[in-house]
Amino acid sequence: MVLVAPRPLLRPAPPEVAAADGGTGAEVLALLRGDTATRPRFDPGLAGGLRAWLEDAAYDVVVARGEHAPPIFLGPRQLLGSHDEQQDDSGAATDRRDTARLVHALLRQLVHTGEIHDPLADALDALRASGDEAAVRQMESLAPAARTALAETLALHARNLLALVPRFAPGWMPRTNDRVAIPLAGGRIVLHGMFDLVVGLPQPRTASLCALGLSTGGPWAVARRSLHYLSLLETLRSGAPPFRLALLESASGRYGVEDVREEHLRAIASHIAAWLAQPGAAHG
Amino acid sequence: MDALAEPVGAVDAVAWRFALEGAKARLAGLAVRRAGANRFGVTDHEVRTALSTESGGSGDGEPFAWTARTARRSIGVGAVRLLSTGSARSPLEAVRSRLDESSRWVREGSSSATQLDRWVDGLSAAGRAAVGAEAVTWATRLWCALDWSSFSSPPEIGRDHWWDSPHSALLALRGRADVRTDGAHLVVLSGPRRGSVRAELALVTLVESLRLRGDGGPGRVVGWWPDSGHLVRVEPGPATLTLAAEAVELALGGAGASLRSAA
Repeated sequence: MVLVAPRPLLRPAPPEVAAADGGTGAEVLALLRGDTATRPRFDPGLAGGLRAWLEDAAYDVVVARGEHAPPIFLGPRQLLGSHDEQQDDSGAATDRRDTARLVHALLRQLVHTGEIHDPLADALDALRASGDEAAVRQMESLAPAARTALAETLALHARNLLALVPRFAPGWMPRTNDRVAIPLAGGRIVLHGMFDLVVGLPQPRTASLCALGLSTGGPWAVARRSLHYLSLLETLRSGAPPFRLALLESASGRYGVEDVREEHLRAIASHIAAWLAQPGAAHG
Repeated sequence: MDALAEPVGAVDAVAWRFALEGAKARLAGLAVRRAGANRFGVTDHEVRTALSTESGGSGDGEPFAWTARTARRSIGVGAVRLLSTGSARSPLEAVRSRLDESSRWVREGSSSATQLDRWVDGLSAAGRAAVGAEAVTWATRLWCALDWSSFSSPPEIGRDHWWDSPHSALLALRGRADVRTDGAHLVVLSGPRRGSVRAELALVTLVESLRLRGDGGPGRVVGWWPDSGHLVRVEPGPATLTLAAEAVELALGGAGASLRSAA
């Protein structure tokens, strides 16, 4: 694994790019841009090879389950081992999930408006506009002490987001919550996931995108593998992965930027093929 | 997306006319049967629901409400229109313009203001940002998927076409397409791949065929899932018309059990 270490700006940002207020966002931006001459190149046959590998593994599952069994939808939570967290109904786990949803709403707001005013109020308004009234009511009915604690937690995440997230010019085409869903075995198995933030102009069979992932907590390694997983899905969708990834950890302000390499994609494809081959895979 | 530009194969004119007359007769029968009932517009949504072999889970039974998700297409196509005319330079700018337009229309009491515009106008800045973010992603995918300079004439963006039954004011069919060129209709799809999708797209063919005056064909319908990049093409043939008419019949609670089992 090679993470590009944080370092000073390699060159000033061009005029059309508004850097983040703090220096960190500008550093992330500079690392994402990098040097166009050194961007990774990918074998045009890579996507086809990876798909064939996964189709073979999926086919075995379909044979075991029967052709008319309902489709299995597999995301990073199931495939990358953080599934237990999602099944955990303890108060702490619920709090972490709620915090993650609210912080992700703040990321979208920051990308699209460049501002966060009142982190808790803004995030709840975003959730309300997204139709999740039940979650809003539940969080608004928290006891004053719990609500204050939640507001303080969100304020910390928001401060780090404001420092970390580059302010992308509209021409970079920043878009959030870009969902990817790749059907295998004629749709009997669907690999899915969601990029938190993607920038760049998609070009068929050319690595032309950068993807940014937001981790609100949990192991760094799992969040990083989740980005590799999404890169694999992007490869299967468009024929090429993003050429560079950034992982931003909003609780700590830590970040890393790395190139996507073929070995990342092969390692994740191998992991998924092995996951599908395990006896329990047929039950999803 | 080459599927929009490729020429449509020749269609047997006699078989086509026969299938179209058959579809018209079937729709006329449906209109008569529904006399006295409430007005019923059959859309791709009704076709999908009628053919669905799944139950629950999709929220089909819930009453409609505007949310960032349900608003994304309406705002997104407005944004892509601004991009295609050069009125905006990026999806982000285009969506912002479209949202500002909503507020302006509501403030000025414009007759153009819709329920969606009033909902958007009533949101807080953070709520609008959430709605805008969803629409930006939708619009960026569509904007980047097509070579807009390759069209010989400006495509029609986000206009639904309706066909009103001449036999009953209560029956109408809607063909939804997000981009319409001279010879093709692009429909942006969401959700999983499903057996009903060909019938959903065939409805676009049927509506175009019923609206056609004079020569010319209804064109190819291309369904596109941005989530996966997959395409499904429905060519304008007699079987497509029959499929669509059967789907409408099923959506209206008529026959079509064979169609349901096929889905």
